[in-house]
Amino acid sequence: MSTPFLSVRDLRVHFSTEDGMVKAVDGLSFDIEKGKTLGIVGESGSGKSVTNLTILGLHHPDHTEIEGEILLDGQDLLAASERELERLRGNKMAMIFQDSLASLSPYHTIGRQIGETYRKHTGASKREARARAVEMLTKVGIPQPDLRVDDYPHQFSGGMRQRAMIAMALVCDPELLIADEPTTALDVTVQAQIMDLLKDLQQETGTSIIFITHDLGVIADIADDVLVMYGGRCVERGTKKEVLRAPQHPYTWGLLGSMPSLEGPVDVPLSPIPGSPPSLLNPPTGCRFHPRCTFTEQVGGKRCATDQPPLELTAGRGAACHLTAEQRAEFFTDFAGTRPN
Amino acid sequence: MFRFLIRRAIGALVILLIISAITFVLFYVAPRDPARVACGKVCTPETLALVKRNLGIADPLPVQYWHWLQAVFVGRDYSSFGNCPAPCLGYSFHNREPVLGTILDRFPTTLSLSLGSAVVFVIFGVGTGMLAAVKQGKMLDKVASSASLIGSSMQIYIVGVVAMYYLADQWHILSRPKEVPFTESPSGWFTGLLLPWLVLALIFTANYTRMARSQLVETLSEDYVRTARAKGLSRRTVFFRFAWRGAMGPIVTIFGLDLGVLFGGAIITEKTFGLHGIGALSVKAVGDNDLPLLLGVVLVAAGAIVVFNIIVDAVYALIDPRVRLA
Amino acid sequence: MSLSRRNFVIATSVAAGGSMVLSACSSGSSTGKKGGGAGHGGADKYTGSVVVGTKADSTGPAAEIPGAKKGGTIRGIAPDDFSHLDPQRIYFSWNSAIGDLFIRALTGYKIAADGSMKLVGDLATDAGTMSDGGKTWTFTLKDGLKWEDGKELTIDDVRHGIERGFASFTTEGAGYAQTALTGTADFRSKYKGPFGGKHLDSVVTDAKAKTITFKLAEARPDLNFTLAMTSYGAVPVKGDTKDKYDKDPVSCGPYRIKAHSIDKSMTLVRNPHWDPNTDSIRNAYPDSFVYEFGPEALQSADRLIADDGDDKYAVMAYSGVPAERIQKVLTDPELKKRTFNGLLTGIYYYAINTKRITDLKVRQAIIHAWPLEQIRKIYGGPSAGDYATSILSPDIVGYAKDDVYGKLKKPQGDPEAAKKLLKEAGKEGQKVVYAFPTSNTYNKTKVVIENALKAAGFTPVMKPLDSTSYYDQVQQIDNQFDVMWFGWSPDWPTGYTLMQPLFDGSTIANGANNISQLNVDWVNEAIKKNVVIADPNEAGKAWAALDKRIMTEEAPIIPETFQRRFYLYGEKVGGATFHPLWSSAVFYKLFVKA
Repeated sequence: MSTPFLSVRDLRVHFSTEDGMVKAVDGLSFDIEKGKTLGIVGESGSGKSVTNLTILGLHHPDHTEIEGEILLDGQDLLAASERELERLRGNKMAMIFQDSLASLSPYHTIGRQIGETYRKHTGASKREARARAVEMLTKVGIPQPDLRVDDYPHQFSGGMRQRAMIAMALVCDPELLIADEPTTALDVTVQAQIMDLLKDLQQETGTSIIFITHDLGVIADIADDVLVMYGGRCVERGTKKEVLRAPQHPYTWGLLGSMPSLEGPVDVPLSPIPGSPPSLLNPPTGCRFHPRCTFTEQVGGKRCATDQPPLELTAGRGAACHLTAEQRAEFFTDFAGTRPN
Repeated sequence: MFRFLIRRAIGALVILLIISAITFVLFYVAPRDPARVACGKVCTPETLALVKRNLGIADPLPVQYWHWLQAVFVGRDYSSFGNCPAPCLGYSFHNREPVLGTILDRFPTTLSLSLGSAVVFVIFGVGTGMLAAVKQGKMLDKVASSASLIGSSMQIYIVGVVAMYYLADQWHILSRPKEVPFTESPSGWFTGLLLPWLVLALIFTANYTRMARSQLVETLSEDYVRTARAKGLSRRTVFFRFAWRGAMGPIVTIFGLDLGVLFGGAIITEKTFGLHGIGALSVKAVGDNDLPLLLGVVLVAAGAIVVFNIIVDAVYALIDPRVRLA
Repeated sequence: MSLSRRNFVIATSVAAGGSMVLSACSSGSSTGKKGGGAGHGGADKYTGSVVVGTKADSTGPAAEIPGAKKGGTIRGIAPDDFSHLDPQRIYFSWNSAIGDLFIRALTGYKIAADGSMKLVGDLATDAGTMSDGGKTWTFTLKDGLKWEDGKELTIDDVRHGIERGFASFTTEGAGYAQTALTGTADFRSKYKGPFGGKHLDSVVTDAKAKTITFKLAEARPDLNFTLAMTSYGAVPVKGDTKDKYDKDPVSCGPYRIKAHSIDKSMTLVRNPHWDPNTDSIRNAYPDSFVYEFGPEALQSADRLIADDGDDKYAVMAYSGVPAERIQKVLTDPELKKRTFNGLLTGIYYYAINTKRITDLKVRQAIIHAWPLEQIRKIYGGPSAGDYATSILSPDIVGYAKDDVYGKLKKPQGDPEAAKKLLKEAGKEGQKVVYAFPTSNTYNKTKVVIENALKAAGFTPVMKPLDSTSYYDQVQQIDNQFDVMWFGWSPDWPTGYTLMQPLFDGSTIANGANNISQLNVDWVNEAIKKNVVIADPNEAGKAWAALDKRIMTEEAPIIPETFQRRFYLYGEKVGGATFHPLWSSAVFYKLFVKA
């Protein structure tokens, strides 16, 4: 394993609100290598988006407490000044957001929004920025880019907007691209196109990608490594193959169970995870997943409710669960057996 | 944009035509007779008939209206009283001059009063609103909210009189309102209107503070603002180029309405401060039973409000490309 | 029209109780009786008697005012511009007040320091000579009269001013002299004015002797009073711009109009061709007058209370101290020193519709019930004016105070007396429809009137009417109102100017002023008889007797108040006195203090 391009160590992000302290991220660590894609999976509120906004430094400084370490290419982002961060954002690290309609300014043309980033970081002229915007639009496959460059976001279709957003994110050839559910709002065919586009562009530029999603199918398509988040913590990590083929955590099993399979018969019922995601204001004691977990009794005692299971990693592979390795193998086989996969 | 303007201009003309007809009819059906005033204390039917001929109100209503309408385009000759060239909005027998001249003479006062105060309260209101939004201060927000409630419930004829009494008469901080044409002395114009501006601003400012703050807080939490920050743009750039742009639309709309309120409320404002704008002129026209003048004033005031509306719509479209004008 | 509609609107918008504006043209004063209750803060007596002055009284110059000196600028502040400047179109007293500075007629009133008046010759050498029982009047023109351009003011110019009153564009002015000359109120059908080149046969001039003789169709022993109205001011034959004259009249008085911006301001400066030796009425101390139009009463009062800068030289020109400030002004000795006041020329009253309330006892009961004290309290209390008890005002020649219904003793109303009368008439619970113009003040007086009527056993019905069309509505013969708020101001101080328009049955018509619709033979005959009594004092007695008899036997009105008005002036203003005719300052007596 080479030196990680991005390294997150024991990250804790806490927001103070009127009701109390929200522990949005609570001790998260991961690495990502150059040119690789890390998929972060989890339900809404699991802390995955917060993590990435924190990497970019877009949290609200007044109400947020951050501990831990984020190193980008050796530079400590948490210690960086706002000016330094501004220089990095959109340049060395860029982000693609989920809702492209809301995330693009309705008041400016696509071309201007793309060019703006370019001008900011390269000091290019308006004319150069526009040319670059057209070039980027061409790259992401917008037809008639020299005309569409002057359109406003609302004049684009959803897919085209997401392409434009990608063009905007990639305009300065970032070395880290954070894609926060970039395909969630799109229909399936467009989703596939966007995924292909991202893969192509990654091959071309060698960008590292953090891909946030709640959709394991998408992970299967794009990720090299997978990180499963629950309640602000990482519950399982490993390569895509390891996590998808031999998941070690009951939550991951649940995620897989709630996913329709394209290959199986359509009448097999999905089994969604019972209950709802934990409150981060008052997280459950012990394992944060235990109120929804069907295996707590197998652990014995009340350990799941009292002790927080540590994430034990071996060569970047591991899960945070009190079940023994044997139990996991047994239960997963049972679980997988109910699925025709 | 051009098509929009043409379309709206035609609409405005239709509105003004309808307003003129309504004013005409309303004035005519009112149970009073403009001729009586000019008929002396002992008014014989013969004298009354003579006065009616003099005032051009002897003809049936539709004929009168037709003559009036004609005059707008081709002018009109009021035999012994004088000529009224097109666009002739009528001739005031009371003031002994064409209506348009009188209105043009008074319009700058109302315009100075309204726009001047608007500049003051928009700058102050929006400025403090921006500050409050950036600071996200709850305290300032509460202060602005109650201040705007108090402001909007204050009556100009009370605040105005009190302000003149203390600021001008007692403490000699400001001078009593005076009308000095801008072209004559810009500084005199400014000091002469400063007190009414500030009083009007007192009433309107807090509303803009509150509105600017809440709009900005809202737009600052918009996704596209976050995107802009993610692009590496500075807070300042993001604030003005993105958040402020989004907050401006509703403010411009309210501002357009307030300008209408200022023009409509000019009657009270001008009476309070003893200024001679079209508001005071309309009061006089009603008091004098001066239909031609009243009609002219109503039309010009309505015209101004319609024009403000068109401008507001156009500005809104410039701010927000999602608004289609065609 | 009694109260000006125009001024009416203004007065109500100011909402100053008790400062309603009258369109009076003239009035005089009766013998100096004690009037006005104690504590009203105003003058304690009515102004002295109006008498006809002698030739010596008519000879200029006017007596110097002690302490006065020439120079400086006096500033008038008023809510409204002068509606007319053409003498033949002037009827409102506000216009007459300024007209005094540049308009002169054959006769005029010489006002003494105590407010007493003499009718004297202004352009004429004396107050005129009557013959033929009042059907012929002759006046002689003074020497040395000039227009502002230096041209001589001739007897033709005087005649021109009379004849212009017949022109089609002078409908706003008075018509008394025209009616007297032609014998008809429709005088324009007899003569179309001087612009066709024809003169009136009934007006004879002698250029050499400088005389003008009026041969009247009907006897008018008080024509010399009539001719003192501004409506009969002289206009130069050469230089008459007809209907445009209203914008820029030619002066023969001590001042000429230098600049006039409609509704904003007017500046008058000295007329160098005016010779003080020709004028026994006017002083002319300031070099100029500057009138500012626009500020409402409250504003001008506040400015004069502040007494700052140019306002030191200012005087409230026509709107008086409003109710909001009257207490402050009257209780602060420093401010009170800078006030003058007087009673308005007119009377406020409530007309009882005798066509609807036909029973005299019911009318008398209404008068007994009426709450004068509560009404005046709303106007501002004693300082707002004095109670009236009959139609004649204290300024009328021959006025006698007769309190037939004991209203001065029980100004709060006498419900018991009213109930008794109602019972006698068998009309207990009688419905009374009261009409009034809506305004802050009258919406309040309505309440006390309603309560008083209820207390006296009536069934009151309140009818608020739009103030701008109020007169048009109550002046309809077939209106559905029993009692109507009304007011009237006489055009000169004789009983005729009240009795004839208000109580002569022959005048009843839509739009006319006899809204009591009183049409009683003995009243009509008495009016005809009194008009031709040649001796002013005898005539005065006859009118006063008629006044009392009408109140006693017909009770067609509920007299309310003679209202009082206070004006403030700046500390540098001298000679501020109340004009008994125009209810404003006597402008030509003002001076700038050293």
